Amino acid sequence: MPAFDTLTQAWTVWDVPAPARGVAVLDETRELNKFLGEVERRAFRMAQVALRDPDDALDVVQDAMLKLARNYASKPSAEWRPLFYRILENGIRDLQRRRTVRKKWMVWLPGVKEDPDNEAQDPLDNVASGSADAPELLMRSEAMEKLEVALRELPARQREAFMLRNFEGLDVADTAKAMGCSEGSVKTHYSRAVHALREQLGEVW
Amino acid sequence: MKEIAEESNPSAGAFETHSREVFSRSVESLDMRVISRLNHARQAALEAAVQRRPWFLQVRVWTPAAGVTAAAVLGVALWMGAAAGHHPPAVADNAATLEDLDIFASSDEGSGDALEMLQNDIDFYDFADTAANAVPVANSGPAA
Repeated sequence: MPAFDTLTQAWTVWDVPAPARGVAVLDETRELNKFLGEVERRAFRMAQVALRDPDDALDVVQDAMLKLARNYASKPSAEWRPLFYRILENGIRDLQRRRTVRKKWMVWLPGVKEDPDNEAQDPLDNVASGSADAPELLMRSEAMEKLEVALRELPARQREAFMLRNFEGLDVADTAKAMGCSEGSVKTHYSRAVHALREQLGEVW
Repeated sequence: MKEIAEESNPSAGAFETHSREVFSRSVESLDMRVISRLNHARQAALEAAVQRRPWFLQVRVWTPAAGVTAAAVLGVALWMGAAAGHHPPAVADNAATLEDLDIFASSDEGSGDALEMLQNDIDFYDFADTAANAVPVANSGPAA
């Protein structure tokens, strides 16, 4: 569906025969399906790194998909990626803020245990499926686990810049759009993130 | 915030490449439960995209319903007005005027059409008007 700047333009589009409109919507849906299929797994892993919880990560990704489809599907497809990650990062920040408030309340409530986010994870969850042999899988899993721990130690903006630039492959301009800041800030956050990660993980990693 | 240039040295580049590879492998090894849930989420989003439509495109959907409703309301109002014996006052006030016009325009006057009669007598009324306004000649003689 194209974007309408004026009511007349919209009416002109509305007046085209129904099959033409149907084809346009079908093309747009197909393109959106392709885009979401490309980004969904990486987006999930990035959300999981930030939130630690797979269910929360799935919720945030699902919410970002719905918001993109409802509000921005009519935008040019080139704009979808930064928009999607901006929605995702906002969702992650909102959830982290809610968790912080919840933790503060739990301190004051008697008889309430620590947040379940800190529960020990089942080691089997980290074992990957596939045809690779067990030692290699274990090595991969350990490497990612170390990287995740190091990423969680970073300030949120540095982590966002690193994941969007390095994991998702966004350029500086799109990363700036996704983070809602200037390109200069993106470069600064990214550079500091790389320094911090290298220091923490060392050359051996 | 002071801007710092992005990493460009080879070891930093190797670190970035390695971390990207590690992340990509972890994405490839996601379990089927997560992949399935992501797929469901994508289908729900696509459905939402298809169902979304701007408000001005929804007008046509509601127009027939609004038309039927308006007609029904008008019908009920007229029916209730007739049942109560109520007529619009404007029609009642003008009833006598309409009756007069009807008599005036009717051709049942015996001597012919009233309008035609009025047209024929215009010359007489014109003469009478001139005569009434004329100065009497007999009384206007020079004074002795």
